[in-house]
Amino acid sequence: MATIPDILIIDDDRDLVNSVRIILESRNYHVRSAYNGQEGYHSIEEKIPDLVILDVMMTTDTEGFDLAYKLRRNPKYANIPILMVTGFTQRMADLGPENFQHILSEDWPVSQFLEKPIDPEQLLAAAEALLKGEASYGHHQ
Amino acid sequence: MDIINDTIKQQIFFRKELRERVYWFIKLRWVAAAIGLVGLAAAHLTGLRLPLGPLVGIVLSIIGYNIVFLLIGRRLLSTRPAGVRPYHIFAHIQISLDIISLLLMIMFTGGLASPLLIFVIFHIVLAGMLLSPVSCFGYTFMVLLALGTLLLIKPEGLLHLETIHIGSHFFFHQLQHPELIISYLIFAMALVVAAYLITSVKVTLRAKGRELLIISKQLDISNTKLLALYEMIKEIGTKTRLQELMDSATHNAARIMGVKACSIKLLDKDKKYLEFASSYGLSQEFVAIDRIEVDKSTINRQIIEGSLYSIGNLDEEDYFQYPNDVRKEGVVSMLCLPLRVGHKTLGVFCVYSGESNYFSARDADFFSLMTDLIALAMEELSQSTAKTWFLNKTAHQLRSPVSAVMSMLYLLTKGYLGPLTAQQQETVTRCEKRLSILRDTINDLLKLASENDESRRQPFHPVDAAAVLQAMTPIYLTQAEQKSLIFEVRAAADLPQVLGQERLLDEIFTNLISNAIKYTPAGGRVLVSLSLESAEKIVFKVEDTGIGIPESDLNRLFAEFFRAENAKSMVEEGTGLGLAIVKEVLDQMNGTIKVASHFGRGTTVTCLIPAQRRHGLS
Repeated sequence: MATIPDILIIDDDRDLVNSVRIILESRNYHVRSAYNGQEGYHSIEEKIPDLVILDVMMTTDTEGFDLAYKLRRNPKYANIPILMVTGFTQRMADLGPENFQHILSEDWPVSQFLEKPIDPEQLLAAAEALLKGEASYGHHQ
Repeated sequence: MDIINDTIKQQIFFRKELRERVYWFIKLRWVAAAIGLVGLAAAHLTGLRLPLGPLVGIVLSIIGYNIVFLLIGRRLLSTRPAGVRPYHIFAHIQISLDIISLLLMIMFTGGLASPLLIFVIFHIVLAGMLLSPVSCFGYTFMVLLALGTLLLIKPEGLLHLETIHIGSHFFFHQLQHPELIISYLIFAMALVVAAYLITSVKVTLRAKGRELLIISKQLDISNTKLLALYEMIKEIGTKTRLQELMDSATHNAARIMGVKACSIKLLDKDKKYLEFASSYGLSQEFVAIDRIEVDKSTINRQIIEGSLYSIGNLDEEDYFQYPNDVRKEGVVSMLCLPLRVGHKTLGVFCVYSGESNYFSARDADFFSLMTDLIALAMEELSQSTAKTWFLNKTAHQLRSPVSAVMSMLYLLTKGYLGPLTAQQQETVTRCEKRLSILRDTINDLLKLASENDESRRQPFHPVDAAAVLQAMTPIYLTQAEQKSLIFEVRAAADLPQVLGQERLLDEIFTNLISNAIKYTPAGGRVLVSLSLESAEKIVFKVEDTGIGIPESDLNRLFAEFFRAENAKSMVEEGTGLGLAIVKEVLDQMNGTIKVASHFGRGTTVTCLIPAQRRHGLS
C-alpha cells in the first residue's frame, strides 16, 4: 500500500472518537472524524475513505445502520468497508425486536462488529484486516 | 341479520320432527295390526259373532299398505328431499288410509256402538300433532260425516252388521233409538274438543319452539362473536407497534361485526384534531381527508364526550359532516364510540355498513365492549413502548460514559499515551476492573427490568433448544480452554422442541454455563447436557467441579445482587444478577430450577423446561 490509508470515524461520543484516533494514529493511519450520520456522509462525499468506523446509536437508535444502508445502496460507496462499533452485543436486542428484524431481513450492511469499550489490539486487528480487503459480508454470526 | 338463515333452520327443525313422527307412525301401525289380529282371534275364540272375513281383510290390508309406507319412508330417508312437502303428503296419505281402515272396522263391529270408536280420537290427536290445524279439523269433520252417514243409512241392509253387546248402556245400534243420536253428538263434541285441544297446544308449542330457536340462534351468534373477540384481543396483544395493533383491530372488527369497513381516528396531543390512524375497507381518498377539527364537528365532539353515535340510514340524515364522501364509500349506516381508558380519550372507533339500519342494540353493546378492549390494548402498548424506550435510553446513557472511560483507560494501560509507572499501571488496571463490573451490573439490571416487558409481548413458539445450545458452544469451548477446563456438551438426539423464544433460552444457557466456567478452578470439568425428563419436559443440566456454594447460601441464590462469599473471593467480576435473570426467564417459560452443591466440590444446576408435545395440539 503506497498511500497512507484514510479512515473516517463517525461517532457522537467525542471521547471515543479521540481514543480511536490515538490508537489508529499510532499506526500512522490518516484519521478523519464526524460526529453524526449526516456529517459523516458529507465527509465521505468529499473524499471516499478506505474504511469507515461507525457507531450504531447516535441521535437516533438506528442512525449508524441507516447510514450503512445508505452507503451500501450507492454504487459509489458500496465497497467501503464498514467497521461498526456497538455498546455491546446486547445492543442489538435493545434496538427493539422490530428494528432487529428489519436489520436482519436485508443484506447485512456491515463488514464487522467491534464491541465498546474499544480494545486497542482488537481495533487495530480489525482495521488492518478490513483495509487489506478481508471484508466479510453477509450475516454476522 | 339472518332472517333467511333462521327460516331455513326452522324448517329443518320442524321437518326433522315431522320425519321422525312419520316413521314412528309406521312402527305404531305394526303394533296396531298385531293387536288387531290377536284381538280378532280372541273374539273368535270367545265366541263373539263378528264378520271375521272382512275384519281380517282390513287388518291384512293395513299390514300391506304399511309395507308400502315402509318402502316410501326408506326412499325419503335416502333421497332427503329439501322441503317439508313430501313429508306432509306422506303424513296425509297415512292418516287418511288409517282413518278409512278404522271407519271400516267400526262399521263391521257395530257402528256407533263399536268399542273401536275410541280409536278415532287417537287418530285425530295424531293428525293434530303432525299436520296443520286446518287439516286436523278437516279430518275431524270428515270422520264425523262418515259416522253420521253410517248412522243414517241402514247398516243391516248394507253390510249385515252384527250387533255386539258389551254391556254398554249408551251405545245402541238401532237407528230408531234417539239415544243413538245423542251419543253421536256427544262423541262429535268430544272429537271436536280433542281436535281443538291438540291443535291449540301444538300451536303454542310451535311458537315456543320458534322462540327457543331464535334465542339459541342469538346465543350462537353472540358466542361466536365473543370467541372471535377473544381471539382478536389475543392477537392484538402480541403486537409491538401501535400501528400494527390498530390495523389488526380495524381488520378484525370489520370481520367480526360483519361490516364492510372500520376505522380508528386518533386525537392529537391537544385534543383539538382527529386524524385517521387506521382503516379497513375505506378508500385511500376517504382516509386522506384533512384532520377533523373536533370543535367544528358536532358528531365527533359528542362521540369524544362519550356518547354512542349510531346512524341507521345516512340518506335520511342531513347534518353529517362528510355526507357525500361517506356515501361514495357505500356506507349507509354506522356506529361510533370513543376509545377511552378511564378518563383518557384516545380517539374514535367506527364501523360502517352498506345496509340501512344494520346495527341493533345488541350490536351496539358488543361494539362497546370491543371498543373498550381495543382502547385498553392500545394504552397498554403505548405505556410499555414508553417504558421500553425509557429503558433503552437509560441503558445508552449509562453505558456510553462507562465505555468511553474504559476505552480511554485502555489507551493508558496499553501504553498509547506513554509509559506508566508500576503504581500508575496498577491503579489504572483497578479502575478498568471496577468499571467493567459497573458495566456488567448496568447491563444485567436493565435486562432484568426489561425482561418481562419485551418477552411477554412476543409470542412463544417452538424452539430447538439443542440448536441454541450448539450455536453458543464454540464461545464457551474457547473460554474453557483458556482456563484449562474440560468442557463437554451432550444433547440427547431427537429432543422435542420447547415452547419459548430463542432469546430466553440463550439467556438461561449463557448465564448458567458462564457461571460454571467462572467458578471452576483450572483443571476442573464442566458438563452441560440436554436430555428428556418426560414427554412434557426437557432437562438442561450444568455440572461443574467448581468451588461449590456454602449450604447456608443456597436459599439466597436467586435473590438480586446476592453473591456467595467464596464466589466473591474467587472472581471479582459478577453482578449477582445472573441467577435472578435465569429464574425470571424460567418463570416466564413455566420452567423450574434446582441447585445442588457440595461446598468445595462442585455444583449441579438442573432446569426443567416444558416441551411441546409432539403428537398433541400444535
